[in-house]
Amino acid sequence: MKIQINGRWYEAREGEMVLDVLRREGIDVPALCAHEAVEPYGACRLCMVEITHEDWGGWKGNVTSCLYPVEDKLIVQTHTEDIIELRKTVLNLLLARCPNSPEIQKLASEYGIDTTSFVPREDADNCIMCGLCTRVCTQMGFNAISVAGRGYGREIATPLKEAPPDCVGCLACVKICPTHHIQYEDIGTTREIWGRQFELVKCKQCGKALITREFADYLIENRDIPADYFDICDDCKRSGTARDFKKLVHWEEKEEAEEEVSA
Amino acid sequence: MKPEIDVAELKEIISHSPQKPSSLIAVLQDIQRKFHYLPPEAIKETSSALGVPLSQVYSVATFYSAFSLEPRGKHTCRICMGTACHIKGAPMALEQAEDQLGIKAGQTTPDLRFTLEVVNCVGACAMAPVVIIDEKYYGNVRVDKMKRYLDGVRDED
Ligand code: SF4
Ligand code: SF4
Ligand code: FES
Ligand code: FES
Repeated sequence: MKIQINGRWYEAREGEMVLDVLRREGIDVPALCAHEAVEPYGACRLCMVEITHEDWGGWKGNVTSCLYPVEDKLIVQTHTEDIIELRKTVLNLLLARCPNSPEIQKLASEYGIDTTSFVPREDADNCIMCGLCTRVCTQMGFNAISVAGRGYGREIATPLKEAPPDCVGCLACVKICPTHHIQYEDIGTTREIWGRQFELVKCKQCGKALITREFADYLIENRDIPADYFDICDDCKRSGTARDFKKLVHWEEKEEAEEEVSA
Repeated sequence: MKPEIDVAELKEIISHSPQKPSSLIAVLQDIQRKFHYLPPEAIKETSSALGVPLSQVYSVATFYSAFSLEPRGKHTCRICMGTACHIKGAPMALEQAEDQLGIKAGQTTPDLRFTLEVVNCVGACAMAPVVIIDEKYYGNVRVDKMKRYLDGVRDED
């Protein structure tokens, strides 16, 4: 099927969301709470676009592109005056919530907002409540963290605000967070995240610490990964392969040389 | 002060509902009713008994205002601070209640007898100011009668 975006036609696939097409085609629409690893959620409201269709009798509306499934001949506008106004309002609010976040500051300034017109949050952290961290943690099957509270006091938290028993220290939440709010620290062979400490597995060859014992065990048990997979790190595995490859090449050379001799 | 929690009793309460995730809210309500709050042990026991991740039990427990993670008094005194009640003297009723109980709104007495709360309009503006103690509504409250209302509840214990 085809959909029209800002006057040009693009190929779209059944089951995709409008945002998927926008991203694939490199059309610049801000979207902070959508990630290919998890189901769309519609939290940040930045990805709003205008849609219409020739069969809709002139009706058009503004929708979140991350949650709107494509349909044939859908007509999308990503930067109408209304849409830009909507995004400005959202960014103005996000900037009040997270006045210190470089990512939010940058995005807001792209839309001409340098300071929020609302009262900035006191003691603000950089969490925009996009829910990516909790969703990816659930998607991975750990369910270690969740949204706690309601209304103004809503926050991402560990159960009972204690070290989360179900966390394996995989760092998926850290990596997916659009505003780098989630902190962790690797000191020697210890990783600390969410107030919990993990021992890191060391590579048997170079000694580099890369993954927590808990996460390695989880992957070995649930993802069909060989039990000794994490004994040696990827870098050492690669140089190991290179060595083997060299041996192989030299072996062939040797063969050739021997052949020449015998010929 | 945290009250002692009898884990056997907790398990017994949880066992009254079907041991599946959909019982979550019912179980939390039962525990809240019994202990007047959800102790940490309750969150953990409920999670393992119903097979709901701990993080989700915590999320639900912190979402609904019917649940409290802090110990609450045996009795709850709510003072309506909606517009109508406000005009008819609710702030003075609150002040009285705070004096009587020796705590501020949102707090619980150290003996876990009373929790004092303010609420916004309970839909009974015609009888403003309104005070609700446990399930009982008192309308047209006379501010100087706050002591009597609270004593009445105390005497019933
Ligand atoms: S590090 Fe812990 S909280 Fe974060 S995604 Fe992994 S298991 Fe979940
Ligand atoms: S911590 Fe990061 S990923 Fe999680 S909700 Fe906040 S901003 Fe989103
Ligand atoms: S990306 Fe669509 S609402 Fe956040
Ligand atoms: S304002 Fe108190 S009942 Fe309406």
